[in-house]
Amino acid sequence: MAAPAIRTHQLTKRYGALLALDGLDLSVPAGEVFGFLGPNGAGKSTTIRLLLGLARPTAGQAWIFDTDAADVATAHRLLAYVPADVALWPQLTGAETLGLLAATGPGVDRAYRDELVDRFDLDLSKPARTYSTGNRQKVALIAAFSTRAPLLVLDEPTSGLDPLMELQFRRAVAAARDNGQTVFLCSHQLAEVEAVCDRVAILRAGRLVDVATVPELRRLHRTEVAAHFAGPVPDLHNLVGVDNVTQASGSVRFTLTGPPAPALAALAAADLTALSVREPSLEEIFLDYYGEATR
Amino acid sequence: MTSSTLSAVAAGSAVTRLAVRQVRRGALVILAVTVGMSTLVAATYLRTVGAGLDAGALAALARNPAIRTLFGEPVALDTAGGFTVWRTGTVLAVLLSVWGVLTTTRVTRGEEDTGRWDLLLAGRPTRPALLGRHLAVLTAAMALIGVTLSAALIAAGTPPRGALLHATGLVLTGTLAVAAAAVAAQVFPARAGATGAALGFLGVGLLARMVGDGVPVLGWLRWLPPYGPLALTRPYRDDRWAPLLVLVLASIVLAGAALALAERRDVRDGLLRPATGRPPRRWLLHSVAAFAARRTLGPLAGWSAGIGAYFLLIGLLADSMTGFLADNPRFADLAGQAGFAGLGTVRGYTATLFALLAVPVGAFAAVRLAALAAAEASGRLTLLLAGPVTRTRLSYAEVAITAVGMAVLVTVAAVATWLGATIVGADLALPAALAGTWNVLPVASLGVGAAVLALGRAPHAVTAVGLVPTAGGFLLKVVADSVEAPAWVSGLSPFAHLAAVPAAGPDWPAAAVISALAGVAVLVGAWGYRRRDLHV
Repeated sequence: MAAPAIRTHQLTKRYGALLALDGLDLSVPAGEVFGFLGPNGAGKSTTIRLLLGLARPTAGQAWIFDTDAADVATAHRLLAYVPADVALWPQLTGAETLGLLAATGPGVDRAYRDELVDRFDLDLSKPARTYSTGNRQKVALIAAFSTRAPLLVLDEPTSGLDPLMELQFRRAVAAARDNGQTVFLCSHQLAEVEAVCDRVAILRAGRLVDVATVPELRRLHRTEVAAHFAGPVPDLHNLVGVDNVTQASGSVRFTLTGPPAPALAALAAADLTALSVREPSLEEIFLDYYGEATR
Repeated sequence: MTSSTLSAVAAGSAVTRLAVRQVRRGALVILAVTVGMSTLVAATYLRTVGAGLDAGALAALARNPAIRTLFGEPVALDTAGGFTVWRTGTVLAVLLSVWGVLTTTRVTRGEEDTGRWDLLLAGRPTRPALLGRHLAVLTAAMALIGVTLSAALIAAGTPPRGALLHATGLVLTGTLAVAAAAVAAQVFPARAGATGAALGFLGVGLLARMVGDGVPVLGWLRWLPPYGPLALTRPYRDDRWAPLLVLVLASIVLAGAALALAERRDVRDGLLRPATGRPPRRWLLHSVAAFAARRTLGPLAGWSAGIGAYFLLIGLLADSMTGFLADNPRFADLAGQAGFAGLGTVRGYTATLFALLAVPVGAFAAVRLAALAAAEASGRLTLLLAGPVTRTRLSYAEVAITAVGMAVLVTVAAVATWLGATIVGADLALPAALAGTWNVLPVASLGVGAAVLALGRAPHAVTAVGLVPTAGGFLLKVVADSVEAPAWVSGLSPFAHLAAVPAAGPDWPAAAVISALAGVAVLVGAWGYRRRDLHV
């Protein structure tokens, strides 16, 4: 079996008294588009800094395709990175920046780069000083995708892009996936994660909460059910997996977690006239996770 | 007062507090150096100079164009105050004005370039108000330095009139530099350009003063700000206040212009706008080392111009200076006490001034490595380091390019001195000049070592730590020699182990030990840089 693109073992990072990352065990198989979610301060950026060897773990270890992440000369031949906050050399133009990154990076597919420049509609003749946040992000995205590196580590890559450009970004991720590349995507744009990611990891307060496919997450989470009845409304209060029951005359709304059979059996026994089931969006799942933290 | 004027006052004082926070540390260091140097020279005057100066020697000194050019016109050397003004006046004026320029462009244009002023300007402060508050705080800092300096000079026993005049002159020079930098910050599209232009203005001003001091026919040049009028005030002898009016008027005009221009331009844009696009210049982008070279070329040209101009002047003055000191041994003794021995021959004279070269060359190294630390802090290194580039390679590339730059600087100094000396017919061969300037490289390389150590351990303090062995070592030696401290104190300074090349042969063992120390510091610093977390 091929080595996982990313593997961490008990990866831990402490900044003084703050435990930023607490024993993270993660494995991202090659070829997967992997979403990495968590609220601000959960440890996402810390994880990325450790994976890139920009910071040293307090304990534990990380590997990029079986290379120790600390061995950047080898590991970074296999990856490209887009930081959340792209800083460029202000006096270099876009073209010069791409030239520098191509020369010092893991390699470049020039034809694909030119195509990306077209698609992202970036004026390369301007000095980086004059670029907006979105344009700086485009430079970093073009540089990263055009490496065709086996692993792309993307930290909030679209926070400055408009919807048209975000569409281009999704196309580029899809192309990378078709190409067999692995994408590690850290994002708050949950619709985007939902659209492109195969699996999602959820991080909270430096700990891994869950790793699952998006449909699995849905199954694990509350589905909203609304039912209407011709006759009396059945009592659902004591059923396993049923929560937040609100009853009105002739109708009931509730949330359902886990296997739906007991609830459905109870509903079927009554005189059911209409039933609507709505799966939660990733955003709702996300809020669910972090809502719990504050409760 | 209405609540809106109240909150306007609150907004204004918040900006003032911000400006004070950004300025205070540097201001305190400058205050300590200014007051410390002046008091030390004034207080030790009797011991170092005392009654050893007769009228004839003084008259000879005052007439000598070389002395006048390099150190300014000696005015009242028979008094402690006058001697202090002559010994420290120019150095302190340059120190205050350079600090004024660097700080002004840092806290105004630099803050604006990072986008932090966008936040402030989205609130109540207008652009002129924001700039004005910062200029006011810098002016207040200069005034504080002046008040402390005049109090210290009066306490040291010099007449109050002269002390006040000298301190006021220095303060106004600093204030004028602040105002000039503020104008440059409105005109140029980025901080570096504004800083360069303002420093250029100071350089031209210094040149005008030197020529005005040295060549009597061109004495009127000393009316040009910022340094010339200081020479015309003649503290502790004639106590003329009128020349300072030039500095006051120039400061007011420049500050007014800066405030007016601040309103007429876009935030984060200068009045001069570079073309919005240009074809790519792809040279020196093909590797980390090449890119380090590309980033160094511009600053190196600036440093070369400054060092080249200064040493050309040293060469041009070689004959006049050595002749004077050979004829007036009392001054040669005095100069010897201040760390300038053997000035009586061309080789001795150049050897002494070449030793000085270690300070700017060490400073160049410190500033280059500080630029690397700044690139890291601003996040510009992140994309480079996300490629297969180790931090070891990155830091060694920067060190290697910096070392090449240092070699260029000392070579420029040698060629400029040789050129100047050859023009006036002084006896200095190019190989001797080269040997003299290359001789300071080991000492200057201690600056690289210290800066790399700081890069590995304390990346926010690279410049300060990098200056310790060179500028710090030089000050230590001068102060230790001036107050006749025990030999081991001045022995701590690398300058105590620097042979007077080309007057004497190089001290190879000392050079080897110093180079080895610098090398170890680079290795340890680079190791620390590789192992620490990146600061972004």
